[in-house]
Amino acid sequence: MTPRTALLAAAELLGWWVALALLWLVLISTVDPLELAVGAGSALVGALAARAARRAVTGS
Amino acid sequence: MNGWLLAATVGLAGGLGAALWGVATGPLRRRVVAQNLSTALACPSLLLLSQAYNRPSYVDLGLVLALLGPVGTLVFARLLADELAEDPPRAWGLTWTVAGLGAAAVTALCVATGPSRAMVKLLVIGALLISGNAIASRALSGGFRGVRGG
Repeated sequence: MTPRTALLAAAELLGWWVALALLWLVLISTVDPLELAVGAGSALVGALAARAARRAVTGS
Repeated sequence: MNGWLLAATVGLAGGLGAALWGVATGPLRRRVVAQNLSTALACPSLLLLSQAYNRPSYVDLGLVLALLGPVGTLVFARLLADELAEDPPRAWGLTWTVAGLGAAAVTALCVATGPSRAMVKLLVIGALLISGNAIASRALSGGFRGVRGG
């Protein structure tokens, strides 16, 4: 993995993470620190899964 | 009895009742379309019930239904692909009418909610509902033949 591809992968993961964390923030009923922590963790797992799924579909 | 409850009752009794009748009778092409539209009718009714009873947790039921309803239809589209290819359903008028009803319900609820996180949630559910049913209807009418073997 070259620095360029690593940077691209990190950027893609960050993009997925932001989108999924925002979705979480919209769907919860009350905003408190615990919800935000759980949401941030779930969004990270979701971002990894989303990138893996995107690579499986596009084959790159 | 308020207006929200009345609208939800009409949606559940009239719309969902008609859809269930369509699922239980007639040829396959009619049954699959009615099955697809039943969740598209039940979801806005749940959102309206949430507003009628002032219970935000009912919105989550609508969210789950908006996600899983089209997925269920895709399973039928996959399993019944051969039968549906011989006699493909064409019900775009009905599909877009039900989508319009869902959009109207979501719009009314957004106006009642006002700008907030709850309104964004309603908009997400509405987008999922309409796009999901459009995709499921297209799959039923054989719009994704390239992925049938999938």
